[in-house]
Parts: sequence; structure tokens; C-alpha cells
Amino acid sequence: MTVATGIRGEDRQNAVAGWLFMTPTILIFSVFVIIPIIAAVYFSMTDWNGISPPAEATFIGLDNYKTILTQPGIRQTDFFTALKNTTYFALGVVPMQTIISLLLAVVVNQSLLRFKSFFRTTYYFPSITSSVAISLMFLFFYQKSGLVNQILSTLTFGAWEPIAWMADPRGLIHIALSWFGLTIQTAPDFLTQTSLFGVPLWSWISGPSVALTGIMIMNTWTTIGTMMIIFLAALQDIPNFVYEAAQIDGASAWSQFRRITLPMLRPTMFFVVTLGLIGTYQVFDQIYVMSSGGPAKTTLTIAYLVYRNGFNNSQMGLGAAIAILLFIIIFALTMIQRRITGSEAAV
Amino acid sequence: MNKRLLTLWVLLLVGILIAACGGGGSTTPEPTAAPEMTEAATAVEEATTEPVATEPAGEASGDVIQLQLMGWASSDAENTRLQEMIDNFNSANSDVQAQLLLVPDYDTKLQTSLAGGAPPDVFYIDSFKLPDFVAANAIAPIGDELENVDDFYPNLRDAFTLDGTLYCPPKDFSTLALEYNKDMFDAAGLDYPTADWTWDDLRNAAEALTDSDNGVYGMVLSADMARWIAFLYQAGGTVTNADSTSMTLDSPEAKEAMDFYVGLVQDGYAAQPADLDSGWPGEAFGKQKAAMAMEGNWIIPFLQDQFPDVNFDVVELPAGPGGKATMSFTVCYGVPANAAHHDASVRLVNFLTGSEGMKAWTDLGLAMPTRASLRDTWLEKFPNLEPFLNGAEYSHPWQFQPGFQDVLDTVNSGLQEAFTGLTTTDQVLQNAQEVGTEVLNR
Repeated sequence: MTVATGIRGEDRQNAVAGWLFMTPTILIFSVFVIIPIIAAVYFSMTDWNGISPPAEATFIGLDNYKTILTQPGIRQTDFFTALKNTTYFALGVVPMQTIISLLLAVVVNQSLLRFKSFFRTTYYFPSITSSVAISLMFLFFYQKSGLVNQILSTLTFGAWEPIAWMADPRGLIHIALSWFGLTIQTAPDFLTQTSLFGVPLWSWISGPSVALTGIMIMNTWTTIGTMMIIFLAALQDIPNFVYEAAQIDGASAWSQFRRITLPMLRPTMFFVVTLGLIGTYQVFDQIYVMSSGGPAKTTLTIAYLVYRNGFNNSQMGLGAAIAILLFIIIFALTMIQRRITGSEAAV
Repeated sequence: MNKRLLTLWVLLLVGILIAACGGGGSTTPEPTAAPEMTEAATAVEEATTEPVATEPAGEASGDVIQLQLMGWASSDAENTRLQEMIDNFNSANSDVQAQLLLVPDYDTKLQTSLAGGAPPDVFYIDSFKLPDFVAANAIAPIGDELENVDDFYPNLRDAFTLDGTLYCPPKDFSTLALEYNKDMFDAAGLDYPTADWTWDDLRNAAEALTDSDNGVYGMVLSADMARWIAFLYQAGGTVTNADSTSMTLDSPEAKEAMDFYVGLVQDGYAAQPADLDSGWPGEAFGKQKAAMAMEGNWIIPFLQDQFPDVNFDVVELPAGPGGKATMSFTVCYGVPANAAHHDASVRLVNFLTGSEGMKAWTDLGLAMPTRASLRDTWLEKFPNLEPFLNGAEYSHPWQFQPGFQDVLDTVNSGLQEAFTGLTTTDQVLQNAQEVGTEVLNR
């Protein structure tokens, strides 16, 4: 074997053994990850319809990317609508899940708290439940006479008008604007007539629709458990003597949290936010089960658009191109995020 | 090298190869394919292997052609009936043995098996999907090899005919009709709808039946082009011109149909299923939150099963300014291009859709026969379904050009926005016209 030349005999043998033990994983990884990625990049440059054998697909270079990014039409509009929806989804879910899971972690980390393990288990439970089962359950909660409306109605002493959450395409920002009399009828022309990437400015500023908000709330609820566990592990890694020293110096609980806990959690924070960004930008299963992209395409996300193109519209090549764009978006966001959080926080 | 390490490595590698290959060879009907099958399909397998085993060992097993029929599961009664028919086919044909696979997530599974080059020998094709399959050269035109083609209703033949070529025979079909709640009509003191109702009659009745304070509406309508389009045809409009070269959704007829449909909701005489705590119109109708619904014959077993107390009846859809029209939704048995056993596959299709097969299949009163010659005997048995069957004469097939999913999505999403007042009917039609033009020019 010449794999590890220049290394002493025993080390070389270890290196060979290491590679040999990795062979199965490398094989599996190639078959199920690397080759599909290469195939996806290739198919994104073909006009493959997903029905005929892939060998019959014609290579068309970057045409699919041009169609999506620069050519006015329904495909461009759909992609940027999906990008808008997914971004609103991430903007809502990532901060919510990070803050709530951090709070929960801090709470269940308190040594004085009783039934600690009960709470930990309870908060973690949604994370290990099938997302399809949870989605179906929430479909009932979000019905017009469902639990969510009933609770809101009780809390507001009947002032809350029940809505059919999953069928409501109104954007939250649009709703807020309508309180000040600004609707699509009264909005200035530059908002309704000007389009950016095939989507009118007025639609860009819609905010997440009521239906998407429903899914966002559910998604936050199902993911905080995992994030909480990660924070909890990090919290327990912070050595106690740091807090003791701070207490001797007379630091209050709040300044201990702000000046010790948060800075010490920074690498974990980066990790959690990155996981959150990746997870939200790839959201698919809940959309598939709960809304199929409706009402009025307001829950159409990028990952769901990939599926629609591949399996409903017979445009697998175009779908693959969107998938590659999704990868680039997530990669770029992670890099930006890493810059903001600070490079020393890299995990 | 350390000998023990080497042995371990070889063992691991062999293990993985075995595991990887085990999943692969599912193109031949072997027991290894079982995990993907539904219960019904597994039962089939047991049934089909029996005759083979009883034949004299030796020559038979090599010559018997194995066929796979893939479809989606419907009601238990229908699944069982189809299995019986397959069993009959197998006992009548010693040289061909068919196997029924009813799979979940059908579209995805069919598409991947076609792309993978190992499609089932016979499979369901929805009329809406047919143009995409034809455009991809995925299916063989077997129209010339079918028994008594002229017996199929012309409208249904059209649903599977592209550029003059009949690709596959309709196995059954459904049409839209108007279901109405008799008790609610009685309570409102209204006469029951008749087959010669007009749009005005529908609208007036919907208005009279609406009691929005109690959450009851005259009608349940969904933001769905597959329902609105019936009004489009009733108004005398069309989606495209006759040779499908340009869109015609900018016509005054389309506008009239859109205004009427959206108007029913905007004026509060009709509501969407979600506003009636329902997943689809049939459920809202069953819950008696809407007095009228506009669904196909699939609603009948659903209501009998889930809401047996609802006192309802069915009548043909009202006529619009352009006359009577309804939609037909139909599915055919397709045979793939480059089929491994083309003749045997066609024999199976003919067995299932021939006069006898069609009679056996539709005898449950769930699916409707696509052969005009069976009309009278079928109606004798199921007179209450006549409004649906009558639709066969004047229905329009649910089928457009390849890529029309984009238009469908645009109309559906536009209807949803128009219902909520977020856009105008003009805007919806304009968008659909533009998207359709783009699709036709691709």
C-alpha cells in the first residue's frame, strides 16, 4: 500500500485501517449524497421533464437559470413569490424559535425547578413526533370553529372574529396597512404597478399570509425542543465558578445572564441560528400536508416549488435548477450569518 | 496488513453490497418488492402465484408473462372488485398472469418508474396528465387495438385523443352535477331544483337558503378551476380556441362566468369549504352547512358512508347563457411505449374495458360505465345516478395542453384572492390569459 508514504510503519498501518473503516461510509455517502448532487447540477442544465428516461434529456446550459431569474413569466413570478414566502417564514421562525428555546433552556436548567425532567421531556416531545401527524392535528386547530379561534375568542371576550386560518391569503402587513386605510385599491401606483422580478412591490411587502403564519407558529412549536436541548447542553458546559465569581462581585441575575451566559453561548447561538435558517429555507413537509402551497400561493415555499415543478408540472430540469438556487441561497445566508456572529464563533 | 482488519473490511463491504443490491431488482415481481405494496396488492400476489404453482412444473413457469397493473386505491369495495376481475383474467389466461399494485403517492411513483425505464405494464392515466405523458413519448397509442371503440362516449374518447390519436380507453368517469339538501329546501319553502334550471334560479335559491347568522349558506364553492370551468362552458366560453393555439379567457363569456362564480361568494350566498369547517365541498354539504354542492358522483358513497342522515338528491347542473355544460373527469388504462409485453398488456386492457369487463367493474354503482351500450341496464339498477350519467352527453373533458398546470394554479390562486376581495375578476382572467399564452408558446 502506498496510501500513506512518508509515515512511520505503525502510523501508516493505522492510516490504512482508518481509510478502510471509512470505505463503507464513503461508498454510501457517494451513492446517496455526492452522486445525486452532481446529478442535480447536471439536470438543472437540461430540459428533462422527469417522465422520459433521463438519457433523453437535452443539455440546455444555463437556460433554466435564465428562465427563473431574468425572463419575465410565470416561472420567474413563482420562484420569487416562493422566495418571498420562504424569507418571511425564516424571518418569523428563526428569531422566535431561538429566543423561546433559549428561555426554556434557561428555565429547565434552574437547579431549584422541580419536576425538571418532566418539563424537559414535555418540551422535547413535539420534536420527536411525526411532522405529518402534528400537521394534521394543527389543521383541526386552525379550522374556523377550531381550538385556536376559540382560545382567541375567549381571551378577547368574544371580540375575536373566527377566521379559517389555512384558507386566508391576506398578508399580515397588508392587514396592518388596511387599518390605516391602505389597501390595494388605495395604494399608490408605484406600489401596485411596479414589479420587481415579476412580483409587484405591493405583494413583496405583504408579510406572511395568515395561513403561512399558522404554519410558522406550528413550525416554531415543533422545533424549539431540539434547540432547547442544544442550548441546555451548552448551558451545562458553562463552569459554575464563573457564576460564583460574578456573584461575589455582586452581579445581579440579569447581568449574569447578559454578561456571562449570553457571551458563553455565542458559538451555540451561531449553531442554532444556522440550523434554523437551513431548516426554515427547506420547509416542505408541513406545506405538503397542510396547504399544498395555497391559499393563493401564499404558502408556496422554494422546496415545495421544486417538488411542484418536478412532479406536477413535468419540469424536472427547472425544479433541479431551483434546488441548486436554494442551496446557493442557504450557503450565502450561512456565510453572512457567520460574518455577523463573528468568526471566532465558528463551530 | 493486519489480517483480521482485512477480513473485517471485506465482510463490511460484502454486507453493504448485498444491502444495496437487495433494494434494486424490484422490476420483476418478486416477494422482495412487497414492502411497497398495499395490503390488497399483497393479497394479489398470493392469489397470482397459486395458478402458476399448480401448473405442471417445467415449461410453464418460463413462458408465463408476468404483468403489473398499477393504480391508486379507491374504496374497499372497488379495490376488491378490481382484484376479482384480475383473478378472473388470470384464470382465463394461462399464459399471462397479472398482478394488481395499488400504491400511495401514485403520481410520483409512476413518474419515477417511467423515468427509470421500468414502468408497470398497465397503469392509470388521468385525462389531465395525458398531454404531459404524450409529450414525453411515454405511452403507446393502443386505440386501434381496442374492442369496439365507437361504443365509448365521444366526449370520453376525446379526453384521451390527442391530434386525432386515441391513446387509451376510459376505464370509468365522473361528471359534475348539483347535489341539494331536500330538508333545507323544504324548510325554506322552495321547489326542488330541476334539470332545466338557469343561473338565475341557482342564484335566487342560494340567496333564499342562506342563513349566515347560523353559518348556513346556499351553496359551497371552492377556489378551484375544475368547478368554475363548468360555468365557463355554460356561459359559452372556452379556455383556448379550437386548435389550442391561443387563449380565450379574455372573452366576455369568461368574464360573465367569473363574475357569477365569484359573485355568489362575494354576495354571501356561497361559502368556501374552509369557512364551513370542512376540507372539501362534500364535507360541508354533509355537515348541512351548505344546501347545495357541485360535485361528481364520488360524493354519493362519501355521503352514504359519513353522513347517512342527510336527505339529499341530485340534479343536472343548471344551464347558463350558453346552454348546458358540465365537466367529465376520467381515467384510462395506459400501456407504456416500448412495453415489454405489449400484446399481453393490451389483452388485459381489453379484458377490463370490454363490454363484460366494464359491466363487472361498474356494477357496484360507484364508477360509471364509459360504454354507451351499457347505459340502459346500468340506469335500471342505479336510477338515482342518472343526472351524472346524462352529463356524458354534454360534458367537456378535463384536459388541456401540456404544461397547463401553471394555468390551473394561476386560476385557483386568483379565485382564492377574488373570493377574499384581494383582487378583481378582471385581474384573475388577465393573469390566466397571460400565463396560458406563455404556456402555449413554450
